[in-house]
Amino acid sequence: MHYVDGKQVIPGHYNRFQLFIRFLLEPFTGAWHHRDLIVAILRRELRERFSGSVAGWVWAVVAPVISLVTYTLVFGGAAKLPDGKPASSPIDYALFVFGGLIAFNFFTEMAYRAPSLLHEYAHYLKQTMFPAEMLPVISTLRATTYASIGLTLMLLCQLIFSGTLHWTVLLLPLWFIPFLAFLLGITWLLSAMGAFTRDTAYLMMTIAPVLMFATPVFFSHEALSPDVKLLMYGNILTGFIEIIRDIVVFGKLPDGLVVAWTVFLSALTFWTGYWFFRRQQGGITDVI
Amino acid sequence: MSSDVIIKARHLAKAYRLYDSPSDWLKQQVAGSIKTYYRSFWALKDITFQVKRGESLGIIGRNGCGKSTLLQIVCGMTRPTKGEIWVKGRVAPVLALGATFDLEATGRENVLIGGAVLGLKRPEVIEKFDSIADFAGIGDFMEQPIKRYSTGMRARLAFAICAHMNAEILIVDEALSVGDLAFQKKCVDWIDNFRRTGTLLFVSHSTADLSRLCDHAIWIDNGHVREAGDVANVVRGYKKATLVEQDSMSRFSAV
Repeated sequence: MHYVDGKQVIPGHYNRFQLFIRFLLEPFTGAWHHRDLIVAILRRELRERFSGSVAGWVWAVVAPVISLVTYTLVFGGAAKLPDGKPASSPIDYALFVFGGLIAFNFFTEMAYRAPSLLHEYAHYLKQTMFPAEMLPVISTLRATTYASIGLTLMLLCQLIFSGTLHWTVLLLPLWFIPFLAFLLGITWLLSAMGAFTRDTAYLMMTIAPVLMFATPVFFSHEALSPDVKLLMYGNILTGFIEIIRDIVVFGKLPDGLVVAWTVFLSALTFWTGYWFFRRQQGGITDVI
Repeated sequence: MSSDVIIKARHLAKAYRLYDSPSDWLKQQVAGSIKTYYRSFWALKDITFQVKRGESLGIIGRNGCGKSTLLQIVCGMTRPTKGEIWVKGRVAPVLALGATFDLEATGRENVLIGGAVLGLKRPEVIEKFDSIADFAGIGDFMEQPIKRYSTGMRARLAFAICAHMNAEILIVDEALSVGDLAFQKKCVDWIDNFRRTGTLLFVSHSTADLSRLCDHAIWIDNGHVREAGDVANVVRGYKKATLVEQDSMSRFSAV
């Protein structure tokens, strides 16, 4: 460890390009280096979530089941999907909504928690050599567990009602990679901001519900006028929701342009978030 | 730089930014380096010292003199604002590891988490588990949630974890004062043993412990090194000053 005038000195000589590559790889090398720590904290977090409750993990399954049942009851009779396609089974519309909800809820869980994340772990950050930049990684992984429960349920439901799954379901892991990257970037950004000002938390609580209407969760953006539709893609969640619906509900390959745009936005969010977090990190332990 | 220097600090200074309101922080982010919206509080002003491998350095000073900030810098928890710090080797801080315990989890689970926080690999922790439990000497409480522990038991467990991480640099900050006499003796014996191979930074208000465990000492006063050198001389100077100087509030004035 070597610091001169508040800046870390990295041994060896690198040119700008090498430093840039090093920066791009840093989140991955860091996570690999701290993998045991990440797993240890993650285990604790997962256990803690339902500790003290009798039913425990049953809650994690019951909640998505209830919401899936509700959507089926409410929307089940719809013969047409919002984009005008005929529904092939009564549960199609429910799955359509549920797919969007999984992605959106995943996002809001991160957005609500991120601003207070570093405060939650203040005692670690102040008293041990804890790698703060790994906290967003841990909390994203934790949320992934719950999202996976929802997704599994969704697939199960589809299997039961339509008797078959589309082969494109196999692409789901590929959907997760950019989505996690996007969420991580957002969490880095929000948690660093949240360390300095509590307003970040209030801001997220205010805009997340509004954002729900700017995201095609209950409707399909396909039905909108072309101008508005294009505008919707400014919201990165639109792309993710369209892709997950394509591969899970409709069983078709997503539009290449949409995929490219979504992946681009996620990569941008990922590294911007990481860059911002690292920039603020020196001040974080001093303020929380 | 000679190869056996393991910690080197040159003109270290640390300023905390004090914002009068959260909105000032936001303004600062927007303004960048054009304008300052904060006041600086210099916790450390000018600290220079170096420690060689195998040496023990004691650090004394009155409350609020900057000891903890200095230790945080050496551990890498916070960055110095100015000056240079260079640390080679794995650091184990026995600062307040106990404070990071998860109260709901058992002692055993906390050993696994604590070990991971200190940078041990999971198999290493599992392998050392019996030895850790033995050192802590809290028996069946190992399987109980930490919330049922007494303060002393927590300190025991915390020290036991730190004692098993094969660190090259051990940082002990008042951690011994909570344990009972038998455990304190055990810790001091362990530290004595550790000193044969490792480097120790020891912070204590007990000048007796300091004289016993350290070769050299630095006395920090108001962010400066007031005296440095042989532990006996520094302790003597410190004691003498304590008799003369009043315990006045003006020491804590910020800025």
